[in-house]
Amino acid sequence: MNSLRFARAALRARPAAFRAPLQRRTYADAAPDKIKLTLALPHQAIYTSQGVVQVNIPAESGDMGVLANHVPAIEQLKPGMIEVVEDGGASKRFFLSGGFATVQPNSVMSVNAVEGYPLEDFSADAVRAQITEAQKVANGGGSEQDVAEAKIELEVLESLQAVLK
Amino acid sequence: MVFAWKSAGLSYNRYLAIASRVVRRSLKEDKRIIAERRGETDLRFAKWSNGKMGESKNLVDANTSGMASQAGSSSS
Repeated sequence: MNSLRFARAALRARPAAFRAPLQRRTYADAAPDKIKLTLALPHQAIYTSQGVVQVNIPAESGDMGVLANHVPAIEQLKPGMIEVVEDGGASKRFFLSGGFATVQPNSVMSVNAVEGYPLEDFSADAVRAQITEAQKVANGGGSEQDVAEAKIELEVLESLQAVLK
Repeated sequence: MVFAWKSAGLSYNRYLAIASRVVRRSLKEDKRIIAERRGETDLRFAKWSNGKMGESKNLVDANTSGMASQAGSSSS
């Protein structure tokens, strides 16, 4: 009998306890399923805090996709392709030359890079020609400096060639 | 994690500049000509000591020789 009365009291108490959290405003209410993306280059802003669905970035720690309400993060970017899935499912792809991406707590993301162009702006022939050129320098007997630079160029070019295919 | 460019004595700035240069060169002809102008840097500097201007140097040349000496010390 005693325990029954206790249960009834708990039943009565519960609705009030449930109501309280619902009135609280959370990040999810403020930014529903969208990331505000800013993709900026020193000479141009491709996106300026535009709401997008998903952003796939080539982070140095591995490729990752960022959705709304992602945990805050700072990632160094490899030279590689970034994919932005816009409203309605259409996706745009850019090749960035390396930089940083920061994800802030309230679904705000900014990507900074030195150079970035849509994939269709690249010429596969120019990439191929540069690869042979860079390979020659990388395997040649140049200074340590020249070899290192050629290796960086090769890394960028191979990544570019892979996404252009 | 040790980056390849770091062990070669390059700075991150230099690494980005090389990567960007390659990206610019890979563009289609019309875009490339506009973009490549951004890669040109032209800056000279001089160190002043005791109120006298020292030797005026090109920044790019000074950077290259500075990094070459760093590469030597880091590999030993």
